[in-house]
Amino acid sequence: VTDTLLAPPLARQGPGPLAPSLIEALDLAVGRLVTRTLPGDRRAAGVGLGTELAQLRPYEAGDDVRHLDAAASARTGSPHVRLHVPERALTTWIVVDLSPSMAFGTARRLKADVAEGAALVFARLAVRRAGSVGLIAFGAGAPRVLPPRGSKPGMVAVRRMLAQGVAPDGRHDPEALADALGRAGRLAGQPGLVVVISDFRDHRSWERPLGSLRVRHSLLAVEIVDPRESQLPAVGHLALVDPETGARLEVNTAKRGLRERFAELEHRRRLAVAGELRRLRVHHTALSTDEEWLVELGRQLR
Amino acid sequence: MSFAAPLWLLALAVVPAAILAYVLARRRPKRYEIRFTAISTLREAVAEAPSWTRHLPAALALGAVAVLAVALARPHVTYRAPVGEASLMLVTDHSGSMAATDVAPSRLAAAVAAANTFINQLPGSVRLGAVGFSSSPDQAQGPVTNHAAARAVINTQSANGGTDTGDALALALQLLQGANPKHPPAAIVLLSDGAANAGPDPVSVSRQAARDRIPIYTVALGTPGGVLPNPDPFGAPQPVPPDPQLMAQIAQVSGARAFNAQSADQLSSIYKRLGSQLGSVARKREITSVFVIAGLVLLVGAAAASVRSSGRFP
Repeated sequence: VTDTLLAPPLARQGPGPLAPSLIEALDLAVGRLVTRTLPGDRRAAGVGLGTELAQLRPYEAGDDVRHLDAAASARTGSPHVRLHVPERALTTWIVVDLSPSMAFGTARRLKADVAEGAALVFARLAVRRAGSVGLIAFGAGAPRVLPPRGSKPGMVAVRRMLAQGVAPDGRHDPEALADALGRAGRLAGQPGLVVVISDFRDHRSWERPLGSLRVRHSLLAVEIVDPRESQLPAVGHLALVDPETGARLEVNTAKRGLRERFAELEHRRRLAVAGELRRLRVHHTALSTDEEWLVELGRQLR
Repeated sequence: MSFAAPLWLLALAVVPAAILAYVLARRRPKRYEIRFTAISTLREAVAEAPSWTRHLPAALALGAVAVLAVALARPHVTYRAPVGEASLMLVTDHSGSMAATDVAPSRLAAAVAAANTFINQLPGSVRLGAVGFSSSPDQAQGPVTNHAAARAVINTQSANGGTDTGDALALALQLLQGANPKHPPAAIVLLSDGAANAGPDPVSVSRQAARDRIPIYTVALGTPGGVLPNPDPFGAPQPVPPDPQLMAQIAQVSGARAFNAQSADQLSSIYKRLGSQLGSVARKREITSVFVIAGLVLLVGAAAASVRSSGRFP
């Protein structure tokens, strides 16, 4: 049940072209991301026919007769069955921020556009090789959850949800990220990949649920930033309003001291986020609205 | 400070109204607000900077408004200008009781010293005369700008005889041309220590002085326990208490003030005050221009601060 209608932001630019060749390249990188050191670490969705031969062994009572291998039985003289490695289907959960602060961008596109693009890329990678993709969108009232689905239906559902836009101004819930991560931990039964796409700004107490997700899943944190958020331009007097809390502030950006203090504090804040992610051993990727985010994503995941 | 048009001070009510409007205006959403997501960090950065400079232009403009409102009321200041055409008479008692030593070193010596201080205080343009009296006014000097003459009269007194206050005051009035209705502004300073025991009633002379518009400032010198040694070696010492009631009456009738001095220091400070009071006159001067200039300076300061902080003029 959701209580807030989403609306596409006015300055929406869309994620831009998603070049298939770049997504191909990312496939490998993400595959490396989810590979653990020990084989068999990740369970398959179930036993079943695969494509890869595991072994040939003599028939035992109870084996499916359809698995009898004719050639091996003829050569050995005793019935043999052929066993396959089951598919290792991967479930990817995408936790994406829809809070009003995502509808901000001063360069090529909005933070919400970059987040949408990143979510689409990870969804497309997720539905390959019989994988499925689930989505948890937070920051606009109660979290919206799309259950994991595979292939086309999964892609369509994700695409439709992201096309709705973000929450309108005036929504502020500092616990939204923590809630969404907790929900992801409860919903994701099988070990899989969890991609958290957010600006990690004005969110509280997300470290603990992220840490508990880390126990079972591979994690990737995608931080979306805008250059203006870390560096104020010298444009004189500004009347500013926070899209989430509605807090107002008038500043004189002509003051060098203020700009330097702001840059210093913002630098420290981002260092703190990065340090926290490093401490939890979560892969951290930062995408900015003023660059080719897809290229940058590939560069950082490589 | 006084005001020629105090009703204009009501314009000062603009100041609290302007403060209220300023506070409300800061709360109201701005027309050109920009959405910005890093407000919390920015607020921290702003909090580290001194916040009063943000309000400096508004405060300066408000100060200018207040100062200009005061200027509208045309403020005046009172100041003391030395009097040009004034005459003073020092009427000093040197009766026998002035030899009493209850005021160190003696009443007469203290009176002479204090009178000298008084003369030093007077501006040169004031004409000064002196009358010394005991049983009768025996030394007199008309009011002249040469203060040395009066000083000589004061300094050559010696204590003996009775107290003829009435005649001495009458002589002083005569020397000040009290009868002439166009006499220059004048005043008498009477110093005495005892009840008048000879001559006419000093209070009636004081009434005459009031008619002549000549105030008589009186100083009663001595302590109630003041005594004189008896010439008879076996007699008891003679008590010579001052008579402050009579002195106060003289001063009150003539429209002046009475003082009591029980020590040389007190006497000296009374004379010093009298000297500055009688030698000068209170005048009013309009200082509207000062306020206007201050208001303009504040306005220019407000404009400069506004341009500096926000790049706008208002």
